[in-house]
Amino acid sequence: MIKNYFKIAWRNIMKHKVFSLINVIGLTIGLSASFVIGLMIFYDSTFDTFHKDGDRIYRVVTDFKTPDGEFYNPGVTLALKSAIEDDLNFEAISEFYRERPMKVENRANDKEFKLPKFVIFADQDYFKIFDYKFIAGNNDNALSNPNEVILTKERALKYFPNTQVSEIIGKTLVYNDSVNTKVTGIVENFEGRTDIVFQEFISHPTLLQTRLRDNIIGKNWNNTNSSSQLFVKLNPNADISSINSRFKNLSDEHADEEDKKYGEERIFQLQPLSDIHFNENYGIYDWSSGQASKSLLKNLVLVALFLLLLGCINFINLNTAQATQRAKEIGIRKTLGSSRKQLIGQFMGETLLLVLVSAALSLLLSRWLIGVFSDFVPEGLSFELFKAPVLVIGAIILLIIVTFLSGFYPAIILSRFNTVSVLKNHLGVGDKKVGLRKFLTVFQFTIAQVFIIATLLVGKQINYLLNKDMGFKTDAIVSVYKPIEENSLEKIELYAEKLASIPEIKGVSLGGPPPASQSSNTTDMRRMIDTEEIYGEMQLLAGDTNYLDLFEIELLAGRVHRNDTIRELVINEAARKFYRFKSPEDAIGKTLLFENEYLPIVGVMGDFHQRSLKSEIKPMTLRGDWYREMWSYFQAAHIVFKSDSPENLKRSLTKIENAYKDVYPKSNIRLEFVDETVEKFYKREQKISKLLNWATGLSILISCLGLLGLVIYTTNRRVKEIGVRKVLGASLLQINTLLCKEFLILVAIAFIVASPIAWYGINSWLQDFTYKTNISFWVFLISGCAMILFALIVISAKTLQAANANPVNSLRSE
Amino acid sequence: MANALLSLNVATRTVNSGSNAVTLLDKINLQVKEGEFISLMGPSGSGKSTLLNCIGMLDSFTGGGYTFLGEPVHSMKEKNRSKLYKEYIGFVFQAYHLIDELTVWENIETPLLYKNVKSSERKALVADMLDRFNIVGKKNLFPIQLSGGQQQLVGIARALIGKPKLILADEPTGNLNSKQSTEIMELFSQLNKEGVTIIQATHSEHNASYGSRIINLLDGRIVSE
Repeated sequence: MIKNYFKIAWRNIMKHKVFSLINVIGLTIGLSASFVIGLMIFYDSTFDTFHKDGDRIYRVVTDFKTPDGEFYNPGVTLALKSAIEDDLNFEAISEFYRERPMKVENRANDKEFKLPKFVIFADQDYFKIFDYKFIAGNNDNALSNPNEVILTKERALKYFPNTQVSEIIGKTLVYNDSVNTKVTGIVENFEGRTDIVFQEFISHPTLLQTRLRDNIIGKNWNNTNSSSQLFVKLNPNADISSINSRFKNLSDEHADEEDKKYGEERIFQLQPLSDIHFNENYGIYDWSSGQASKSLLKNLVLVALFLLLLGCINFINLNTAQATQRAKEIGIRKTLGSSRKQLIGQFMGETLLLVLVSAALSLLLSRWLIGVFSDFVPEGLSFELFKAPVLVIGAIILLIIVTFLSGFYPAIILSRFNTVSVLKNHLGVGDKKVGLRKFLTVFQFTIAQVFIIATLLVGKQINYLLNKDMGFKTDAIVSVYKPIEENSLEKIELYAEKLASIPEIKGVSLGGPPPASQSSNTTDMRRMIDTEEIYGEMQLLAGDTNYLDLFEIELLAGRVHRNDTIRELVINEAARKFYRFKSPEDAIGKTLLFENEYLPIVGVMGDFHQRSLKSEIKPMTLRGDWYREMWSYFQAAHIVFKSDSPENLKRSLTKIENAYKDVYPKSNIRLEFVDETVEKFYKREQKISKLLNWATGLSILISCLGLLGLVIYTTNRRVKEIGVRKVLGASLLQINTLLCKEFLILVAIAFIVASPIAWYGINSWLQDFTYKTNISFWVFLISGCAMILFALIVISAKTLQAANANPVNSLRSE
Repeated sequence: MANALLSLNVATRTVNSGSNAVTLLDKINLQVKEGEFISLMGPSGSGKSTLLNCIGMLDSFTGGGYTFLGEPVHSMKEKNRSKLYKEYIGFVFQAYHLIDELTVWENIETPLLYKNVKSSERKALVADMLDRFNIVGKKNLFPIQLSGGQQQLVGIARALIGKPKLILADEPTGNLNSKQSTEIMELFSQLNKEGVTIIQATHSEHNASYGSRIINLLDGRIVSE
């Protein structure tokens, strides 16, 4: 019986090749999207699920509530651990400090490794919270003494190649030339997906031998560094609310007078281990691997859902439309003794077969899609994950749901046919469901239309963002950063000198990052007007005396700082207004209070965008290299070219790189074009745009295919009518209009439904941006026209053929 | 004396066409015994097909009583009725009504599938049937590859495969030429001799004469026997 069903299903699929193809394409696209997105969700939700008692492990983080909004810090004050150590709710409390050493040496083998990643200074509880497997050394008293280090197997093999793990124990590693450590243990790397990516665990007391000595001894309650991490493991019967009230008391008790004055509050929070991978407020340790974004996943799920729905709708539409052709078979089967249930089973079987074919294709396609969507797909995700039983079961459930969604309704309709009327050719059953098909078609085109409008508007906004004047020169400027481990100012000055002698270069300026960048340096400054105090945040931008000139930032009044180290301020217009100076000239010669020092304002510069256009222009000041003796802010040389023709650029870049090699022979150049830096602000928007492009393309494709199927079907049914009309003298155009009209009306209705939805969606998306393009009327018009055009092309492809046919052929039969 | 196969007792069928009630079958009284070969005759619209459909339980009478093998069909549930006709009744149509997507073999096999006959048994039964009708060579062809007469042979084979007691044939030769027609009618009388009860609807006096009993219908009423 089943075999018979599948046989007839297969023959039916092959008989109606076009319809089957349309169905398979639609379902395949929907299923592929679902598979890939399912993989992503599975991948992201299985981070750190393998830890023993993982549900009792929490990270303590700090939230700051201020009148300006909330700020989040993944770290806590160094003082917190000792304040909660006596709390019985905790089974283990571990603090560790993230610090990237400049280098590590295995002196015995004369090996040096620069800037090792994922090094932490951890206390002995670390290995009580996270269950590592020791393959050499052991967990007893691990990390309790200074100058001890535990390595992961991966690191150990890197530092001590060709050595047995047991022999590595007791060997010495030297950090930053001066900190000697003895290897006391080697642990297996975590096998599962994890954000706990650390590879080297130096004992916490060793911190006293580093630059952080004072911080560690001082344990200032009011200093929160994101590198200072605190993990806790709760007791099985711990009372979370009592922990929270304990935290509340502690933060109240140690609140800063200043903070109270300005209405700022600090809240310690318990962040569950499972939240780390998703919560973008606090970030993850390996920022290069990219964090999961719940909102992105949600959007992706929506896209997959829509695509799948569109595919199912094609299936329903085409199958109910085709019903008349199947009616005869149904009638016969009923007279031969088939029950309605058996017929439904048969049609569901056919649907299942199509769905299975689509699923097989989707599996092949998903492999390829993972590559195409590398922007969205996490790096570590591979197709092999599909072997996970959860995913296999999930996929099977999805296939069953899709089968039901697309097959059930047509099966009900088809099996309902009355045998006698079918066999007597009193048909027209398929036509009764025209209303539903129309509704579904409108639904499909509404989705496609929303996608089109959204794509255009998001594109428009991105275009606006990229082309809006930032307020400073962004083209033909490149920033070259000095190596991180290199502290000397002389070398970068030498480099600047070498650059100045290159003829293609117009100018060089040393400074911090370019005027707009991801990094920020903020402090508080205040102005006293008599007894009134204006207090606020000030962005700091470091640059030499040539900085404004080079970036073509306008100086509205006064002058720039006289030399690189003098403590003078050049504030921007926003700061001028914030501190209530009447005019740029008014500000010159006045002072702002910074810590305990009155700093003179010597110049006022024009406003420019310091970040993406999502945020407003904030008060900012340009300053020199104030702390040069300790630490130089001049990290980069900004270079402006005479011309940005490709040949000139290429030649100049080679020279810039050669000069860099001369000065820093051991390091690789880090070079960023300023316009690219600006573009990077909008990475997320570009991603959304790419996603929308795909969603739009695919939804148009699926919807138009569905439309084509319906058109083929109805036109075939009207061949005789077309013949008669032609005989009576109708022109090609008249017939085409007649055939297109009913479908174009549907597309038009879809446009009317889609417009407000798209407007609402885009409008709320634009709320993220301080500077936004307007939602123009013409965008709607264009997208509406585009959709109608697509539909018209698809419809006409078939109708013109039908209208062109010789009426003799269609009228001869019968 | 042969057993009664079915009996109709003032059976009536009316349908509503717009606001008018149209009577398709009017107070039909009919007894059919096993082994009979009945020909229904009458002009178009006289109710022949309707009567056949009602007897075959594809349609139902709207009034009166219908007893089949002693069971009251008129008061039966759909499910039991379906079981009854699956078991005892085979249909032959004027337009053959073979399933286009299935081969000759598969078409003949289909009723057995719905009766849940085992695979090996099905094979044997279908092979017998093909043999008996001399169409073994055509078993893998699809209906459109056959002539009308051959298609009707397959139709009859399919109707017979379930070993029905009653065959209902609605103008079985209506689409055939006279030679094929004769063959089919010969086949029917052959089957009848083997014990199958047959009720056929026909326009042709000649075909009707193969029957053991001729019933004339006019406007839904039996006018003569």
